[in-house]
Amino acid sequence: MATRKVRYKKLSVKTLLSVLREEQIDPAEYESLTNEAQIATGVEQAEENEYHLQAVLQNAGVAADKEIPVPPPQESTLNYDELHTRPFSKTATYIRFSQTVEESIGCMYDMTEDDDVFLKSYNQKRAASAQLSEDDFERIMDVFEDTSHVKAPFASIDQTIVPYDEMLQDLQELDRALDGAKVMSHAKELYEYWKSRRQALNNQPLHPTLKFEKHQESDEADPYVCFRRREVRQTRKTRARDVQSVEKIKRLRKELEDGRQLVLAAHNRELLKAEMLKADRAIFEVRAQLKEHKIRLGIKTDDEDLINQKPQKRKAPDVPAMQRPPPPTQLRIAVRPDGRPAEADLSILADRLAEKENELRADIEKKVQSHNEWNRNHLDLTRGPLSPVHGPRRVPSFRPAKTQYPMTPPASEPSEPMEEEPMPMDLDKPDSLPTVFKFRGVARDEESRANPPAYRRRIGRGGRLWIDRRGMASPPRHITFEVLDRWKYDESSDDEDYPVTYEVDPSDTHALKFRASIPLPLWMTNRAAVPSTRVPLPPPQQPQPPQQLVQPTPAAQPPQPPQPPQAPNAT
Amino acid sequence: MSPNGASGEAEVGSDGPRQKGKATPDTLKVGCIAQVIKDGQPRRAEILSIKETKSGRQFYCNFDNFNKRLDEWVPVSRIDFDLDVEWPNPEKDKQKDAKSKKTTTVAKKSQPSKKTQKKVGKREQSVASEGQTPHPWSEFVESQNKDGDDKANASLEVGATPGVGPDEMELDEDETPASAAKKEHAQSFSREQEIEKLRTSGSMTQNPAEISRIRNISQVEFGRYVLFPWYFSPYPEVFSQEDCIYICEFCLSYYGDLRSFTRHRMKCTLQHPPGNEIYRDDFVSFYEIDGRRQRTWCRNLCLLSKMFLDHKTLYYDVDPFLFYVMTTRDDKGSHLIGYFSKEKESADGYNVACILTLPQYQRKGYGRLLIQFSYELSKIEGKLGSPEKPLSDLGLLSYRQYWSENILDLLLGYSEGQDKCTIETIATRLAMTTQDVEHTLQALKMQVYHKGEHKIVIPEKLVQQREKSRAKQKRVIDPERIQWKPPVFTAASRTWGW
Repeated sequence: MATRKVRYKKLSVKTLLSVLREEQIDPAEYESLTNEAQIATGVEQAEENEYHLQAVLQNAGVAADKEIPVPPPQESTLNYDELHTRPFSKTATYIRFSQTVEESIGCMYDMTEDDDVFLKSYNQKRAASAQLSEDDFERIMDVFEDTSHVKAPFASIDQTIVPYDEMLQDLQELDRALDGAKVMSHAKELYEYWKSRRQALNNQPLHPTLKFEKHQESDEADPYVCFRRREVRQTRKTRARDVQSVEKIKRLRKELEDGRQLVLAAHNRELLKAEMLKADRAIFEVRAQLKEHKIRLGIKTDDEDLINQKPQKRKAPDVPAMQRPPPPTQLRIAVRPDGRPAEADLSILADRLAEKENELRADIEKKVQSHNEWNRNHLDLTRGPLSPVHGPRRVPSFRPAKTQYPMTPPASEPSEPMEEEPMPMDLDKPDSLPTVFKFRGVARDEESRANPPAYRRRIGRGGRLWIDRRGMASPPRHITFEVLDRWKYDESSDDEDYPVTYEVDPSDTHALKFRASIPLPLWMTNRAAVPSTRVPLPPPQQPQPPQQLVQPTPAAQPPQPPQPPQAPNAT
Repeated sequence: MSPNGASGEAEVGSDGPRQKGKATPDTLKVGCIAQVIKDGQPRRAEILSIKETKSGRQFYCNFDNFNKRLDEWVPVSRIDFDLDVEWPNPEKDKQKDAKSKKTTTVAKKSQPSKKTQKKVGKREQSVASEGQTPHPWSEFVESQNKDGDDKANASLEVGATPGVGPDEMELDEDETPASAAKKEHAQSFSREQEIEKLRTSGSMTQNPAEISRIRNISQVEFGRYVLFPWYFSPYPEVFSQEDCIYICEFCLSYYGDLRSFTRHRMKCTLQHPPGNEIYRDDFVSFYEIDGRRQRTWCRNLCLLSKMFLDHKTLYYDVDPFLFYVMTTRDDKGSHLIGYFSKEKESADGYNVACILTLPQYQRKGYGRLLIQFSYELSKIEGKLGSPEKPLSDLGLLSYRQYWSENILDLLLGYSEGQDKCTIETIATRLAMTTQDVEHTLQALKMQVYHKGEHKIVIPEKLVQQREKSRAKQKRVIDPERIQWKPPVFTAASRTWGW
């Protein structure tokens, strides 16, 4: 084959290859590529030619019955079931487990046959009560081994044997943990035994251990030295790295501290739980006593007072409902006959709910009001038409007469609270004001703002123009009977059936102009003038003579804007 | 091929420098090569150790061309003292050492010369012919020996000077106590390189001299079985004096004393590998165990598996590995069947570091499950994977089988649909490296050159064989049942554990 060398095209991994069955192609026409190159096996070269492996490889794909011989395992003669007593049950879900081997074993010291001999003779000398159990023997030995490992990690090299005194602390801890095993009474004697065993073993640990690196010359070549630490490549020392390391150590410290706190908290919780359980138990016992007493006294009750003690919460309402009269605070229940605790409960709940709802509503209203108030302050200062909640808008037909600063109603005149809607002025009591930021750029006292003068225009029958005003004190006037009677027949009786609707356009320029031209009453102009942006406009151009509706009542508030004519009539 | 020639005869002839001569049981020493009866036939064997027992002197023999797991202690009666014994040549060591210093380990392993390859090829052929008449094993002495490749490379090294005498070709003495001291400085060079390689990645040693060559544990009680270890494992040194050691089936702790083991069994609460179960079907479970978090358990596992893996090294600790452990359940617990370890981050893209089915479960199809699982994990990771080299003989066979079966199944689908495919698509579909795909195709003689085109031909024999094996194959891993996300390790967590 080597003689008839055909130059093959290079085969790349991306070359498209047609896949054929053997019968689809004439064997004479192709040659297998395998003859040329040695196929890499990945086996250690020295072993590649091993007899058994080659025997199998030669038969690759032909017969699978050739096998590489290995030393065969055998059945154990030990009693498996005796050594493996714990049953294992299949879990429903995949097992998740993180306990380490040490945690799963507990005491790491296991008695040897020599220990067995020692312990037997040791126990023979003692009374049955003072004998040392195998478990405790192992625990004590474990303390010796452990302490020795911690305090003299290189004991086998420097031949230090940890003195008994240094073991004391751990022994006492064990003594406390075991609670009554009398560790200390055995410890000293066991220590001597342990020491002799250690010395016999050249101060090696009593259990055979692996050889770890000891940084001695002999480490390298010793095949028994295993699991060396992998040296980490030394990273260059920079300030940034130092900072990083500090951060990491701090974080670690913090995480450890957090963990410690968590453990402490959990410990406390468990203590509390234990206390609670004790208390529960005490309660139960007292109940049991009570029950006994009841039986002795012949009082017949349900067994529930013993049974229902688990759901403690349910028990509390049950007992008073059954036996005691309902609490006096709940009026409705008092009326009802006993034995209907459910309904009593319901009514209480309804009351509660109502009460709560009222509270909520009041709260909401209060918030709405304070919000309005807050907004109104801003509106007053900016006069912005876009202000979302604007007190006067709630009676849209009235518009504040801004031109007439200052218009302060007489302090003596209390503004009548409006029943239907809480008007801004109602809220304006200084004491009810929330402590929100207020801009007090304009020097006006609260009351002047509380009742701003406002006007409204209406067009009455026959195109008559009405200007209603509000928030302005009328000058005191002598009201004669004639005057009162003046409008007596002004309205037809149909009006009552078909209330007149008045088209109101608050932004009509004519009205604005006219309004501006109304001369201020004298008593007003006497006040200190606040410069107004809206200076009085030129005289009115309207031919219609405006008629002013002057309210006879000193309150000067039309209660309902849509029915202004009725108001005077009523009074 | 130069004076020493490629044929077996020539090489045997090249053994000239070795002094030959008659020996007696008393004069026979470590390093000698003698004829020892194995399976009823005399074989060339190197004496690695000698011990005195009550029944007399015993010799630890490593047989030519046999895997180390078949090494054994033989009594005097099995050694043929009528034939000449080859004596070790201590004075030659220095020359050899000088040579090995020039050749680095890496070069030795990764770049076998053409010469070497050809030589190997020829040897293979002769081995095949021997398959029928397994007699003249002596021909392969040099080629199989641990230092066979040393020698091969030695000749490569000095290829330009054909005068390389046969005296360069002596056998290398091993780390027997007698010679170890002398050789220590010589080995240190390649050893350093070996260790450097181990430090940065992997768990396999490729230096045969690296590992102690003599089995130290003779018998292991493990669960319901008694196992006979194959190789050295660095259990506590005193265990080599025990007739039998005891290993707890669940926590894998080791005891030289039956009483201790019994006491331990009363306390041990572990009933399954101490990690998270990531796969379960009616038959087996897989657990994932982090070498850093379960250091003791993983160390114990490594010690156990070292008894059955020649090239595994325990030089460094288990931290950088994850262990995927396959178990079978019964009413006593989840029993260890086998496992594979995997580097948390492999620089070479390996998806398996070490892989082992325990001897009592071998030849039952479990190895295939382990291999399949390792590739399923690679599929989830979206990576192409390959096992770390070197493979053992058994490992190679298992992998070859898995690869060929899966490639064959895939290709049968293509051949029916008349589609073309590339090596890359095969690799991606099976999460195998393209190299492994190519090698498998070549090994199965499927890759052909036909009318100016590369093609893949599926031999009928393979198809029939696959049908047979599929009928036998009862169990496969169901990828749907894997509950696993590739674990992520930051640089800090790998270094510091947080």
